[in-house]
Amino acid sequence: MNPLGEKYLRKDFLPFLFCPGCGDGMIVQSFLQAVEDLGCRENLAMTAGIGCSAWIAVYIHADVLKVLHGRAIPAAIGLKATQPSRTVVTFTGDGDCLAIGGNHLLHAARRNIDMTVVVVNNQLYAMTGGQVAPSTKVGSKTQTTPYGNVEKPLDGCKVAAAAGATLVSRWSTAHPRQLIRAFKNALTHKGFAFVEVMSQCPVQTGRYLLGSGSPQFNFQWLKDNCVAVKDTSQRDEVEAQGKIPLGDFLQVEKPEFMEEVRRMNERVKEAKAKGGER
Amino acid sequence: MGNEACAEAALLAGCRFFAGYPITPATEILEVMSRRLPLVDGLCLQMEDEIAAVVAMVGASWGGAKSMTATSGPGFCLMQEGIGLAVAVEAPCVIVNVQRGGPASGQSTSTAQGDFYQARYGSNGDYSIIVLCPSTAQEMFDHTVKAFNLSERFRVPVIILSDEVVGHIREKVCIPDADQLAFAPRKAPTVPPEEFVPFKPDADGVPFMPAFNTGYRIPVISQAKSLSGNRGNAREADENIRRIVAKIEDHLDEFADVQVYGDPKAETAFVTFGSVCRAARSAVDMGREQGLALRSVEVKTVWPFPDTLVRKALAGAKRIVVMEMNLGMLQREVERVIRQPKIKIELFSKIGGIYPQPQEFLRFLEEKR
Amino acid sequence: MKGAERIEIDRRYCKGCMLCQYVCQFDVYEQGQERSALDYLMPRPARIENCRVCGLCESHCPDMCLTVVAQMNRKEKR
Ligand SMILES: Cc1ncc(C[n+]2csc(CCOP(=O)(O)OP(=O)(O)O)c2C)c(N)n1
Ligand code: SF4
Ligand code: SF4
Repeated sequence: MNPLGEKYLRKDFLPFLFCPGCGDGMIVQSFLQAVEDLGCRENLAMTAGIGCSAWIAVYIHADVLKVLHGRAIPAAIGLKATQPSRTVVTFTGDGDCLAIGGNHLLHAARRNIDMTVVVVNNQLYAMTGGQVAPSTKVGSKTQTTPYGNVEKPLDGCKVAAAAGATLVSRWSTAHPRQLIRAFKNALTHKGFAFVEVMSQCPVQTGRYLLGSGSPQFNFQWLKDNCVAVKDTSQRDEVEAQGKIPLGDFLQVEKPEFMEEVRRMNERVKEAKAKGGER
Repeated sequence: MGNEACAEAALLAGCRFFAGYPITPATEILEVMSRRLPLVDGLCLQMEDEIAAVVAMVGASWGGAKSMTATSGPGFCLMQEGIGLAVAVEAPCVIVNVQRGGPASGQSTSTAQGDFYQARYGSNGDYSIIVLCPSTAQEMFDHTVKAFNLSERFRVPVIILSDEVVGHIREKVCIPDADQLAFAPRKAPTVPPEEFVPFKPDADGVPFMPAFNTGYRIPVISQAKSLSGNRGNAREADENIRRIVAKIEDHLDEFADVQVYGDPKAETAFVTFGSVCRAARSAVDMGREQGLALRSVEVKTVWPFPDTLVRKALAGAKRIVVMEMNLGMLQREVERVIRQPKIKIELFSKIGGIYPQPQEFLRFLEEKR
Repeated sequence: MKGAERIEIDRRYCKGCMLCQYVCQFDVYEQGQERSALDYLMPRPARIENCRVCGLCESHCPDMCLTVVAQMNRKEKR
């Protein structure tokens, strides 16, 4: 166990249930490095949905609430609402966040509630054995698209930004330094932060979509197919080549939900004290 | 109004988080909470759907607040997985279902009692849950206070199974001062974090509950779990599930409530719950005037079903008629509890959304004799 | 130049994915013959003298079970 693990993992829950070479464990490590650098463990309140990636949160020795498939974001809102000083982080998979939980993503982003959503994108449903996800490319053969996927995929980063997220980044497990930095930005950002992590799943994505179950092959695939970009024009270019753009796409300041609620409560209470209800 | 009484009681009981989604005939509860919670530093959220509402409530419960949601038929359907979640993570919370006609969109403005079994068995797997059935606006108030107390006491979601008549009825409600009411505190850990075992039960089967960010770094998962909170093996899962059922069922005596109106020795007995208790009471009164001895057995806590109390309340009855606004759900429970070859459990059932008249009850007794 | 004093591989958690070998630029690892507690063949830091303590293998290990312990030079020694 490396020193970060010694300090932050729930020892009695180990080993990780992830398969050999899975990116999820690397995300645990990058996230913990961000927590270590910021020293924010005591404030951390995590939620997670259902899927391989949801287990990332459970191994971290801090408060965690792992709920239902797709519902990690509402649970996080409940935690944030009851104590706005919490650093609330949600771990979800691409299916968890963009399919069954898609509506919650839209509305949490719209509210610009101060929380971080980490979406682990392994391009399919891994835990249930390799079925098509909203992130799966057209043409891909999965367990439920045996003749090739005919549906166009959804770009989580674009959806989040369009809905009102105020921080949007995408990195991969093959870029741990940038990923740690993105986590740190997100955790300290005041508003809705969306961090997508392209991650290798040798066992399902590797075998069914990419043609090899070897961890090395899948890791290299991320290196070859994910391209860091500086601006939106580059982003389009990379996409046109069929590759996946990485980068810190968006960070802006906008009124944050809990702050606005606090202000409204003050205003209403003041008016009430003066006599009128409104 | 019954729904307003419910909201008042919740505020008085210390509810500080409410998440809901508008639906007739439960919307007034959301509306009152959105007006009142900001004044007491609480938060009322209108979520994107009922699934979000119930899950946000569970999050808020672990966040340390007393929390609540309210809905009706279709919304109650959407909440079922979340109710199972609240059971599994042992989050105290209160869910109000102001019943309307079903199935599906059914009859939004009409009363019904068709969610009797859904309230008990709506989520997947084995579990136990507490369901209270008010029949007056006053009981909307009293049951809401009771619901918060029971949910904290047993760390379980408590459902208030009301219906359109009770939710919308306008009648006098007596609101006691807060200091006249007793409020159950949440069972906080008695040991420091190093010694704390997250799901190790106390002698009564209920574990201690630290709020998030109080140093306990607790893992709370929706899976069947070991005492430490990890995924349990077969034996641990078995123990976990049996415990969350037993912690409720073993303490039924503490909260089960069955009342008898009228002549407790009358040979003819009605069995009722929820709003139908009202018409049954009138029928009992009218019967008395006509020289007909009647008793009405009112089941206030329908789940877990109070077998012993119902049996006691029906002792000596020769004719038993279950009165309800569904096709015989309470009837089935009474049949299970009263097993006497000579007594047939009769059913007066009214559906379609029109509340039954007491005269209809008396006519039923006449005609079906 | 600073090298590694030792590289610890936690037998309890290693799943033998060999990503450490893959990311190392200095050919430190090879597949070993020893099995971990989870019954996977573990990597072996066969050429530890090549190690530059860059930390890549440690930060990429999906099971967080690698620790690269740097040699301490005289000044740093307590
Ligand atoms: C309501 C519900 N539907 C379906 C499932 C089954 N299920 C479990 S995990 C999963 C998909 C997970 O995929 P993803 O979110 O992409 O996470 P990954 O496993 O790929 O990390 C599904 C469909 C469930 N647990 N709950
Ligand atoms: S199935 Fe894929 S995502 Fe899930 S643990 Fe295995 S490698 Fe990781
Ligand atoms: S620290 Fe760097 S050089 Fe040393 S073994 Fe690991 S990857 Fe190779």
